[in-house]
Amino acid sequence: MLARMQQSTIALLRDDPTAIVIELAGEHDIHTAPELRERVADALSQGLPLVVDLTPATFIDSSILGVLIGAHRRLHEAGLGFAVCAGSAEEPGVRRILEVTGLIPVLPVLPDRAAALAFARVAPEPS
Amino acid sequence: VSDAAAVQLELAARTDNVAVVRQAVVAAAEALSADAAVVADMKLAVTEACTNVILHAYVEPGGPIEVELLALDRGLTIVVRDHGVGMSPRPPRLAPANGSGLGLGLPLMAAIAEDFEVHGVPGGGTEVRMTFDLERSAVTATAEGSAS
Repeated sequence: MLARMQQSTIALLRDDPTAIVIELAGEHDIHTAPELRERVADALSQGLPLVVDLTPATFIDSSILGVLIGAHRRLHEAGLGFAVCAGSAEEPGVRRILEVTGLIPVLPVLPDRAAALAFARVAPEPS
Repeated sequence: VSDAAAVQLELAARTDNVAVVRQAVVAAAEALSADAAVVADMKLAVTEACTNVILHAYVEPGGPIEVELLALDRGLTIVVRDHGVGMSPRPPRLAPANGSGLGLGLPLMAAIAEDFEVHGVPGGGTEVRMTFDLERSAVTATAEGSAS
């Protein structure tokens, strides 16, 4: 019964010289939230806009949302753009928590990586 | 509660065990032919309940999480129980460096379960009891879709 564990990974991608992408695959919760927080800190140290791509993820919980909201705040404070993409596929393990918490427009969450990168490259207005 | 299966688990309140509980819930829900959207809600709810135990229940790490999965005629009740100190602030060892705890766990569970209860446990501890219908009604699905 318990053998069907999907591998969960967090990859920091530097393919694009103008932005950093952190890609989450599989299921993520309180166990992997510290690693995501470290990757966000790595990205912040680069001084580049950040996109967190949840498209390959199959589940996230409020621990992960907490890291994403913290990332949004810290990048905004640093004058850097931030966005999340969740893919166009209806993956209920990711989409549901974003809908219930009303965070889709807040983070914001965009349908694909290209749109998220385009959004993140626009530096936020100082608050 | 019908005569159907009741699954009981007891695991240490460690972060790596949350996925184990989640998989047990998925197996039980799929055995009952629950809708995929309902399974997703069950996974989220049980994850949040176990996370609360890990963050708040025990002063020393690794106390027990008890999970019961009770099959109903058209639903599944998930019980998550600890024998800790109740909903206390999280101990320093688990405080995130950037203070990202959202306090969303209980509101999330209450929002997505058909029935949601929190009780104290005699002798100390907390029990969360959540019941889900196995089928997501078209009316509910439409309302949720239009709200997003």
